[in-house]
Amino acid sequence: MAKQLLYIEMDNCIGCRSCLAACTQCGGHDSRNRNYVMDVDPMQTRQTIPLMCLHCVNPACARSCPAQAIQIADTGAVLSALVEKCIGCQNCTIACPYGIPKFDQEQNLMYKCDLCYDRTKDGIPPMCASVCPTNTLQWLTESELAEKQSAHRLAGGKWIASQSLEPLESETNVKISLPGILQGVQKLF
Amino acid sequence: MQKDKFFKEIQNKLHPGEKLVSTHCSYCGMQCGMNLRVDTRTNTIIGVEPRYDFPVNLGKMCPKGVTAYQQVNHPDRIKRPLIRRNPAWKGTAEGFEEVSWDEALTFIASRFTELQEAYGKDTLSVYSGVSMTNEKCYLTGKFARVGLQTRYIDYNGRFCMSSAAAGFNRSFGIDRGSTVPWTDIHQTDCLLIAGSNAAECHPTSMFRIWEVQNRGGYLIVVDPRETPLARRADVHLDLRPGTDLALANGLLHLLIENGAIDEAFIHNHTNGFAETKALVEMYTPEVVSEITGIAQEKIIRAAEIYGKAPEAIVMFCRGVEQQSKGTDNVSAYTNLALATGKIGRPKSGVATFTGQGNGQGGREHGQKADQLPGYRKMDNPQHVQEVACAWGIPVAEMPQKGVSAYEMFELMHNKTIRGMYLLCSNPAVSAPNLNYVREALKSLDFMVCSDFYLSESAEYADVVLPTTSWAEDDGTTTNLEGRVIRHRQAQSWYAESRPDWWIQIEIAKRMGRGQYFEHLSGPREIFDELRRVSQGGTADYYGITYEKIEERQGVFWPCRDEQDPGQPHLFLDKTFYHPDGKAKICALPYRPPAEEPDEEYPLRLTTGRVVYHYLSGNQTRRIPFLRDMYPDPLLEVHPDTAQKYGIAHGEKVLLKTRRGEAVYQVKVIAAIRPDTVFVPYHWGKHESINLLTNPALDPYSKMPEFKACAAEIVKLEEEERQHG
Repeated sequence: MAKQLLYIEMDNCIGCRSCLAACTQCGGHDSRNRNYVMDVDPMQTRQTIPLMCLHCVNPACARSCPAQAIQIADTGAVLSALVEKCIGCQNCTIACPYGIPKFDQEQNLMYKCDLCYDRTKDGIPPMCASVCPTNTLQWLTESELAEKQSAHRLAGGKWIASQSLEPLESETNVKISLPGILQGVQKLF
Repeated sequence: MQKDKFFKEIQNKLHPGEKLVSTHCSYCGMQCGMNLRVDTRTNTIIGVEPRYDFPVNLGKMCPKGVTAYQQVNHPDRIKRPLIRRNPAWKGTAEGFEEVSWDEALTFIASRFTELQEAYGKDTLSVYSGVSMTNEKCYLTGKFARVGLQTRYIDYNGRFCMSSAAAGFNRSFGIDRGSTVPWTDIHQTDCLLIAGSNAAECHPTSMFRIWEVQNRGGYLIVVDPRETPLARRADVHLDLRPGTDLALANGLLHLLIENGAIDEAFIHNHTNGFAETKALVEMYTPEVVSEITGIAQEKIIRAAEIYGKAPEAIVMFCRGVEQQSKGTDNVSAYTNLALATGKIGRPKSGVATFTGQGNGQGGREHGQKADQLPGYRKMDNPQHVQEVACAWGIPVAEMPQKGVSAYEMFELMHNKTIRGMYLLCSNPAVSAPNLNYVREALKSLDFMVCSDFYLSESAEYADVVLPTTSWAEDDGTTTNLEGRVIRHRQAQSWYAESRPDWWIQIEIAKRMGRGQYFEHLSGPREIFDELRRVSQGGTADYYGITYEKIEERQGVFWPCRDEQDPGQPHLFLDKTFYHPDGKAKICALPYRPPAEEPDEEYPLRLTTGRVVYHYLSGNQTRRIPFLRDMYPDPLLEVHPDTAQKYGIAHGEKVLLKTRRGEAVYQVKVIAAIRPDTVFVPYHWGKHESINLLTNPALDPYSKMPEFKACAAEIVKLEEEERQHG
């Protein structure tokens, strides 16, 4: 099966948070959602953007973990903390540049997006990208992603899709397009 | 099966000890396909899994859909029939006692019979809804007219789809919500969407809508608010609530002026153009801008885009329909497609976003005051004869047509109606002018409510019957495209709950009318009767079977016989359903909303939905995720208006109209017109915005004017703000 990855087109988000509701439906998620949808400027506009784990190639959360509780799967997914190893120090929640890992005070345990490892290990799309009614979250093959990246590159080489490193901290397995994807679209008439 | 560019072959995740039951959502007219996860040991529904192969939504779901399964085994479910013998408790949840089904049904039959013996057959009424299957909707119409023998039946679609229905019937001679399948939407070149917040009310349409822009097509949105849909529009026509008719006439004026009309199509396939052309002459951009408050350039640009678009779809929703001229708005927007000939072919046409799950099918088969199955009309003697014959009753026994939903409350006030059987609806939240409506419910001599939760309306009932939820029964619904689809029972009936068809047959038997109902042993038998009775009507379901639905992922009506594949597109032969085969272009002069702002009430109040809740909120307010996301109604106010009134974001204020008042927390947001305020309508009791809304009715559809009335904000005193 061709490798597939999560691609985020922020401009499409309508703030329905279906991704968060669906997150609870993945096996191994303990019915808890693991990501965020943010209001951009709620007193001015209804614009929202998803804030999902980007599954960094060299993840700060895992690097910061003194107990090596955060494993990286063969799919590239940065997994939730192993229950038996996590010591509840919360280093990961501070280290992550995007503020993704959540912390359960009662269980003294970090939990985060594992890109629905229970599904994606079998080539089934993660719940968030499955249900997203706007195609903000998409589960793409590498060739589909290449099409997206060429379509959303602006004249003058201005950045749209995350084919280069900035503005993200470092290389990520999840690819994103920031708001503004329609700027380069040629109108039909 | 239609496989469009979004379709992907994807297997489902199946957990050990579970099975998947493929069905559809309980909520809006999208009727998204979904799989329910069922624990095979306990035979209970425990979750949801996408249904990637259903062509409309391809696995996508909104947050209501994802959490819909949580309704089924919810702790608030009513487990056994409830009787309340002391009417002093009406309007509260107090005083009910659990009884057996036999006791409840016998009590209902005896009270119904007493009332009818004392006051005549028509003293009873049936108030129904369309968040239930075609089988139930059909049977409810028959139950009212044959079982209870009353003329008074109407339903909550009167507050939802009635203007679209009346407008389409006038323009086309047929009322099917969309002339194209939803899989056409992303392939068109221009979408003109009026009075629809699709991003929140029909979210699974959004990936198709955005795709139009991704392809270089245009999105024109007409809305007083910059909704999440309008935010990305190429042109946002930010009109004053209640002024759509002027805008639609103004757009037609410009299309004619720009030479963007199709003279041959108009000549060959329509009537009424000359008269309409003469009427819209006066609706210049200047005049329209004055009425609507939209900048002239934007109106001109919108007309230019729609006119130039090779293919275009005009879409609308309750924003244009829930007005005292909703029917005229529908026909006036439809005029645009007819005058430009952008209809009767793939990728071009007209569509309304149907609100309720079965808002389409439920309005075709006889729950409406003036209508019989197959979209037959009660004022047509031949139609009455056909249905009476199919039902096996003498024509003389067919009751006369009744009155619309809101008018039934008027008849309760004057005691023409003394008894009511309410099902699948919550008018104590969803009807306009609620102080009046709640008084009407209280004044009833006897009221039965069938629901799976104790709704605000159930609190007015003498008997409450626990009905099954959607996932506990088989049947069909008709989605917003006109596609008849199949719901499947995924778990057995919860506790002692029973499906509405079972309840109605049992009541009919106890009223001595069993002979007309006893042969109907379940949904399949009821559907087969519906098929036969609808045969030859406009909404002909005769050729639709459960098996054919399964084979084809749904069947579009009309479908006249077993060989008929159904009609995804309407009017492909350019023939419309009026007797001469032509559509009607309608000359419709603008008139303002029934209540315009004045010195005392200077603001325009409009209402609507939020993405986390559905209709009266009776279902969604009980779902933890949805409740947490949007727990209480908020009053949206523009920053300039907030400043004028000296009110801050998060402050509680009193909002009032001539009919009522309520306290709301303020949400200051620039994405609304400064002269307009907005409150969503999903809350009950003192939080209902419908305490304030205007019951002025559309003369054709009898739709109340939910979308525009005059209001005023009153700042609360310090102490009230603390405790209000």
